[in-house]
Amino acid sequence: MVDKFEGEHLLPGQLGQISVYTAFIFALVSATAYLIAAYSKQPDKVIAWKRSGRIAFLIHSIAVLSIIVNLYYIIQQHFFEYYYAWSHSSKALPMNYLLSCFWEGQEGSFLLWMFWNVVLGIVLIFTLKEAESRVLGVFAIVQGFLGSMLLGLYAFGHKIGSTPFALLRDEMQNAPIFQRADYLSFIQDGNGLNPLLQNYWMVIHPPVLFLGFAATLIPFSFAMSGLMSRKFDSWTKPVMPWALFSAAVLGTGIMMGGAWAYESLTFGGYWAWDPVENASLVPWLTLIAGLHTALVYNKTGRSLRTTYIFFILTFILILYSTFLTRSGILGDTSVHAFTDLGMSGQLLIYMTGLSIPAIVLLAVYWNRIPSVKKDEEVLSREFWIFIGSLVFLLSSLHITFNTSLPVWNKVFGTNLAVPADAVAFYNKVQIWAAVIIALLSASSLYLKFKKADVKQFYKRMAVLLGITIPATAIIAYLGEFDFVSHIILLFAALFGVVANLYYFIIVLSGKWKLSGAAVAHLGFALTLVGILFSSAKKETISFNSMGVNFGKEFDAAAQRSNMLLYKNVPVQMKQYMVTYVGDSVAEPNFYYKVNYEVFDSTTGTIKEQFTLYPNAQINPKMGLIANPDTRHYLSKDLYTHVTSVPDKTKETEQKEKEFKSNLVQRGDTIFTTTSFVILESIERVANSKKITIEEGDLAVAANLLVKKLDGQSYSAQPLFYIHGDRATLVDDELPELGLTFRLNKIIPDENKIDLQIAEVEVQPDFIVMTAIVFPYINILWLGIIVTILGFVISLVRNLQKKRSSKPVLP
Amino acid sequence: MKKIHIAGLVLIAVAIGFIVTMASDYSQYETFSSAQGETKKDFHIVGTLVKDKDQFYDPIKDPNYFSFYLQDNNGDQCKVVFKGTKPQDFDRSEQIVLTGKMDGAEFHASHILMKCPSKYKVDEMEVTEFKSNT
Repeated sequence: MVDKFEGEHLLPGQLGQISVYTAFIFALVSATAYLIAAYSKQPDKVIAWKRSGRIAFLIHSIAVLSIIVNLYYIIQQHFFEYYYAWSHSSKALPMNYLLSCFWEGQEGSFLLWMFWNVVLGIVLIFTLKEAESRVLGVFAIVQGFLGSMLLGLYAFGHKIGSTPFALLRDEMQNAPIFQRADYLSFIQDGNGLNPLLQNYWMVIHPPVLFLGFAATLIPFSFAMSGLMSRKFDSWTKPVMPWALFSAAVLGTGIMMGGAWAYESLTFGGYWAWDPVENASLVPWLTLIAGLHTALVYNKTGRSLRTTYIFFILTFILILYSTFLTRSGILGDTSVHAFTDLGMSGQLLIYMTGLSIPAIVLLAVYWNRIPSVKKDEEVLSREFWIFIGSLVFLLSSLHITFNTSLPVWNKVFGTNLAVPADAVAFYNKVQIWAAVIIALLSASSLYLKFKKADVKQFYKRMAVLLGITIPATAIIAYLGEFDFVSHIILLFAALFGVVANLYYFIIVLSGKWKLSGAAVAHLGFALTLVGILFSSAKKETISFNSMGVNFGKEFDAAAQRSNMLLYKNVPVQMKQYMVTYVGDSVAEPNFYYKVNYEVFDSTTGTIKEQFTLYPNAQINPKMGLIANPDTRHYLSKDLYTHVTSVPDKTKETEQKEKEFKSNLVQRGDTIFTTTSFVILESIERVANSKKITIEEGDLAVAANLLVKKLDGQSYSAQPLFYIHGDRATLVDDELPELGLTFRLNKIIPDENKIDLQIAEVEVQPDFIVMTAIVFPYINILWLGIIVTILGFVISLVRNLQKKRSSKPVLP
Repeated sequence: MKKIHIAGLVLIAVAIGFIVTMASDYSQYETFSSAQGETKKDFHIVGTLVKDKDQFYDPIKDPNYFSFYLQDNNGDQCKVVFKGTKPQDFDRSEQIVLTGKMDGAEFHASHILMKCPSKYKVDEMEVTEFKSNT
């Protein structure tokens, strides 16, 4: 064994590892100190312990930053002696993707999460007063658990955490290369970043999503603080801006995930009900429910227990989703779960270690949490908000139950799976949740808290229905909707659009400050309209009719969504005349240039023309990674991606060319299998593109005109070149035809030349691609943005109210 | 009992009813022999590619037809037809999870999930997914 290795940079790793231990220990110190402060009765002790907790948290924060700086330095400097840098990055990656490398791995994404917790924790230290010790105590516990994931220690035969500072030679001890002291000189480059993640969405989606995850800890820790202090309702007002912030950020993160999937994945959509997607959606749903019940409590004194349930459940679901996506249990059901680091036990402890105390505390104090005994009015806002939050809960239970099938299979020994068409499977149930939520979110704004103003409510509903019903009928007719469930969803979504617009314009008279709820609900309704159109009316236009009849092997209805495009042969796809005109390489990507033309049916002139470049990375590790290219219209998207290309590596296995001699003179014609070649002239030339001709040299060119059988013509110019006393033959090639020409000999006496031609079989150049039209997908993106805008308006409103009324912080 | 509780219970009852009626939609992990004879339902089949039997994919003839042989965990081999392109790196796959239906002696897959050995690490697997766009 070698004891000294050359060229390693061990300092950043050592600093990083020390920071990992520091962060972990001080998270525990901080948690202990804060919790003692929280339960201490003597005021001077409280102050002292709180201060210790705070200092420990600050040391912890600095340590977390130090881990991040060291790890980023290692990645950025390409220190491939570190396993993390080697397995997630490579030298060729541009700067912004180095950030993606940082959070591609489990360790980096835990760090990102810890970073946001630190940022939020510090903000809370400065804004909270009495509740600080309890809220930050919960924060520090979470940081302790997260910090333990990075330890990379072995204790009692178990691995505790996985450190991002592990060395390559330690991770792969058995590889013979590490027996050499100079092993590093053989490791010139890293493994590289998964090409699917080399996308700008992957630079911003993870930080936003993890900020959303981190932010759900705030409502949870506020709720915990309420239970611990037994001042059960002290937190429901201050939690509002944080819950709104969390909902807005998590929502944005989820949307960015969808946008990433749509833009760089090739499953042809923005949402596939993939376990990883579901795992981030479900906590968002329960968070929204909690947000609403907290509002109800603040207005009416009802639903406090429900609020506790929702905020605690939200964080438990975040923990559960962490477990699902990182423990490897999803195995063969998800494409984009993290690789298993063998930490499922630790993840399970993390999940139960926080949720069980929370559930126990809630159960213990359940009867002491204030609630209102009297029945609520049926036509009051709180009644229907409660029903709505119940629908949210049922919807998230349905998603969670099905996402967890691999878990059930493991626990109960069953072998169930979600059917092949997972999207249809989930939609079948979730569409009804969407319908109810759309109807409730539209109508409940017209109801009042605590009292029922029935007359006005019915009058307004009549007006709204009077607008929505005919609108639904017209749009359903024009849009050719033929499923009852789709028409009902269309109605509910349009009702949401109309009712919330009406509410904003007529009832609020356009007052922005008060419009948060109406805007968010409007956004939700618009999102549904967008989803309905873009998925129910999605149309594959690359419908293949060229397929050979394979008889019974296919159902008659089977769609053949992949289309073969020969180079330069136009193919009609709906209104588009589509031509594949060639590829270009910009390492590591192959861009396939595809022209689209739309002809005016009467005049035959080109109305519209554009080019798309669906690209593919021929990645040595993963094969063909197709990247879609999309033409965006205001009213639709034309989405295309390559699904198969000929294997060009075969062509480069050059066979020995066989030249055949032809004695020809000017004007003669030679036939090849695909073309005929006319010798137009023989001349002495003074310059050529292929070689530099010096003065005194002799260069003779044969000018050839090559005509393909379909009439297309090319030219070629092989040279016979004499420099000093040496003759060189300069061949000319027409790769499209598989022809190589050589001016082998000049026979001046006969005025003839020996023109040699080598012919190889030309591999047909083609691509196989899919083209899909997503109608009105922009309404979907607009809807999500409007929803988030609604959260932001409410957030601003909440902060303003807080400033003006100066409530005592918990 | 409060009205709100009644409304909640009704909602939960409806939801449970819904989910129960959908229970038959679930697919199961099966083998070729246990899936035999059932042509309506979708199955998941886990197995490995039979490397010495013929594969067929000729995009010039039909870009939406790919066939190969799979050996399930019981050791039974069956011809599989996939209505789509041949996934790249298919030959390197170590394990394949198919979703689809039996049709006579053939298995018609609508979905292929393959696990390839990582080029660099022996202990780490990569998962790639392929769907026919139906």
